[in-house]
Amino acid sequence: MLEVEQLCKNFGGIRAVENCSFNVERGTITALIGPNGAGKTTVFNCVSRTMAPTSGEIRLEGERIDRLRPHQITRKGLSRTFQISRNLADMTVLENVICQSSIKGWRDLFNPAMSDEEIEKAVGILEFLNISHIAYEDGSNLSYGQKKLMDLAALLMSDPKIILLDEPAGGVNPSLLEEIVERIRTLNARGLTVLIVEHNMELIMRLSHRVIVMAQGRVIAEGSPADVQADQAVLDAYLGGGEDG
Amino acid sequence: MIEFANQTEDSVVEARKARVLKMAKGPSQNRAAWFPLAVLAILLVFPALQFVGNFNYFIHLLLFAASYVAMASGWNILGGFTGYISLGHNVFFAVGGYFAGMIFARYGISTIILAPVAGLIAAILGFALGWITLRVRGPSFIISSLALVMIARILFDNWEFVGGAAGLALPANSLPVEWSKLPYYYAFIAMAAFAVWASYRIKHSKFGLGLRAISKDEIKAESAGIDTRLYKIGAFAVSAFFVGMAGAVWGEYLTYIRPNIFLIILVSVNMVLICLLGGKGTVAGPVLGALLIVAFNEIFVATLGASEINILATGLIMALTLLFFPLGIVGTLAKAGKLPRILNWD
Repeated sequence: MLEVEQLCKNFGGIRAVENCSFNVERGTITALIGPNGAGKTTVFNCVSRTMAPTSGEIRLEGERIDRLRPHQITRKGLSRTFQISRNLADMTVLENVICQSSIKGWRDLFNPAMSDEEIEKAVGILEFLNISHIAYEDGSNLSYGQKKLMDLAALLMSDPKIILLDEPAGGVNPSLLEEIVERIRTLNARGLTVLIVEHNMELIMRLSHRVIVMAQGRVIAEGSPADVQADQAVLDAYLGGGEDG
Repeated sequence: MIEFANQTEDSVVEARKARVLKMAKGPSQNRAAWFPLAVLAILLVFPALQFVGNFNYFIHLLLFAASYVAMASGWNILGGFTGYISLGHNVFFAVGGYFAGMIFARYGISTIILAPVAGLIAAILGFALGWITLRVRGPSFIISSLALVMIARILFDNWEFVGGAAGLALPANSLPVEWSKLPYYYAFIAMAAFAVWASYRIKHSKFGLGLRAISKDEIKAESAGIDTRLYKIGAFAVSAFFVGMAGAVWGEYLTYIRPNIFLIILVSVNMVLICLLGGKGTVAGPVLGALLIVAFNEIFVATLGASEINILATGLIMALTLLFFPLGIVGTLAKAGKLPRILNWD
């Protein structure tokens, strides 16, 4: 469904991502893991076009998206969250979520900011994530976990086909984490494709169908969680062995 | 599309949904729409006082304040809603003034009729300029807007066709002195009302929601599927429209157009100060701010004389107000939940 081919991203002389290629199959939960600085978030940024890739091709359902602008990618059905939750202060959770509702033609711009259908849909999503009680809180007043849930809610508002989650578990307390995991599973069961970057290995191994391991800007292993755990290159990358070991 | 049916009992879900839906409509019930309408009605019949005395001075003050309400409300769409502070909006004031003034001087068509066209010209210019300058934000954008004023000033100072630095005199109307201000008075009141109504509509539209998102976090807004570039340029054009329209009539009212009336930094700074004082990003803010700035100026000129001291006093009041109302009067009161209902126009 999502194909990344020969993706490169340089920052000055630093090659953050080098010839990175992988596919995300439709209907799967795919995890992108790797030690710090492996280039996972850079890959995310390039796929969602928050950053322009230096070279390479990215295709969503066979269509090239690496020349599109971020909002166009979102409208094609690929939405992302950010590692450090970006939320819109001085706007309620409901407004934060409805912001991501797609606009149908320029005339729609002049319609009321939040139609009844949109509010209903947004509340449905907030209900699903169990946070409808904070619908009228200011987006910046939430706890870290609630912000992550709000991000997820906003993402779902745009009816995505594939979602990219950047560290959904980071800074979230264990009980809330279980809830997030449960919701991601449910969404996936309903047909949503998920690409996830995460440091919590236990969670990755439990949640994902396929794991892609990156180190130093390259994909070094790919496979089922069990395969990856047994892979020597992966162990080296995490334990700091690698080329010189 | 994915369904979000829930495990929770239907009755509970329904109750919660109903509560949120009720809240969604809540703030609007708190709004006192009758108040601005009443103010408008009083302003419309105010000139009838001319039958019993000479109120030309007050008519001038109200006209002056209304012109600033129109301009500051326009500025607020870009500066308040979208978060792009422009110090160059007097360029649109000048473009509107010169466009309508030149046609008025040559063909005798009233600038009041020309005002919407002048606004459109300003909007088109705003669209083009925004396309270039809105690539940068923060201090860079402010400086680019200042550069715009300087470029425009040099251009108009040296453009002989429009009179260069000396400007052009425009014919005064032939009405008796007690009625001569009225056409402009009504024109500016109409523009101010239109600008306030438009800001209200924009603020409550999807366009406005997008603009607010841009002002908070542009990268997030873009990733949420908002075409940030188009929204920003659109906001620039709309805000230029109102300023250009006000400029058109201002020239005829003063009976001359000259670069040092339109293209002085004070005009654009006033728009910014009015919005900061009243509350940037609110609908009522520019109105309250314009009234206060005009009132301060007049009171201090009257009591302290037309020296620098009155400017100092105005500055002092501004500083004090912002010390206690950092988000502007309307903005700070609204945040504290103490905004009087009559000022809740959002």
